[in-house]
Amino acid sequence: MWLYEKKLQYPVRVSKKDLPMARYLLTQFGGPNGELSAAIRYLSQRYSMPTGKAKGVLTDIGTEELAHWEIIATMVYKLTKGATPEELRRAGLGSYYAIWDKGIHPSDSNGVPWTAAYINTMGDPIADLHEDMAAEEKARATYENLINLSDDPDLIDVLRFLRQREVVHFQRFGETLNHLQGYMNGKKFY
Amino acid sequence: MTEQDYTTVENSADTLSHYPGIPRLRLATAYIPPQVFREMFPLSEALNKGTLFPELYRPYRRYPMKGEV
Amino acid sequence: MDRSRVTMLRELQELEFALVELNLYLDTHPNDNKALSTFNNLAAHLAKAKKNYEARYGPLINFGHSGPVSSWNWIDEPWPWEIEY
Repeated sequence: MWLYEKKLQYPVRVSKKDLPMARYLLTQFGGPNGELSAAIRYLSQRYSMPTGKAKGVLTDIGTEELAHWEIIATMVYKLTKGATPEELRRAGLGSYYAIWDKGIHPSDSNGVPWTAAYINTMGDPIADLHEDMAAEEKARATYENLINLSDDPDLIDVLRFLRQREVVHFQRFGETLNHLQGYMNGKKFY
Repeated sequence: MTEQDYTTVENSADTLSHYPGIPRLRLATAYIPPQVFREMFPLSEALNKGTLFPELYRPYRRYPMKGEV
Repeated sequence: MDRSRVTMLRELQELEFALVELNLYLDTHPNDNKALSTFNNLAAHLAKAKKNYEARYGPLINFGHSGPVSSWNWIDEPWPWEIEY
């Protein structure tokens, strides 16, 4: 069961419209290495995990990823606020606007819609955890790319936060992998 | 589970004793050292940095901006 | 924008972030009693900070988890993505 807390996990400050940057940020809203992929992946994998620890980690990190998904949407919302169709078109968002207007649609920076093909729920706990660790590294790398694309200190501040979260998640998934490997081998590891 | 082959050099590492709490390293098996909680950042700093734990803090050095080195 | 609201939100964000971090840590280190008591301290602080915020600005959590209300202010604006931090 999910509850919603009416509060961002991290404050998002945006001082000026930046349509190209909004377009790049969409990849973390609906792209392959984005927060929606992470959330759906972890929240789907948890059902076939064999231990409470693994179910806990996947549920909790999956939930945190939804909070990050909200942060990305907030950035896009603020960066595109008040944009005219002409401005959107000049920023390369004309095709996006034609289909989705001012809606914030889960797609990547090229307008390719989100797909479950971005995730895997193998049902094999070891395979699933490796996918999760790879996903965290890909997200981290993508945030580094986005940091390099921006020169706005407020945006970079949020992107650094989101990037650091991926590092921590990787560590937790690594610890979960250790635990599951021990469990699958019939031994107890701490 | 298949029986372990202890005759080869690599697999005989499994027969060595180990300290409690430290898993033996195995072939074809990834292992991430577990974190040991020592201290925390102050709350405000933790939020700014993106982690509560100094040992997990891994800042990114951005491409130099125009005019920087 | 109401600056005192932003300040109260910031305090909540700091507390809740530490609790998320400790929650994730405890998920993989469930026997770490030092972490557990730190979690409990912060959870108690959060309960107080939430009550203060909610008394002024309405419920933080839906479906009754923020307790009884005197009017249906759950739907009031601004929503989180509209707030100027």
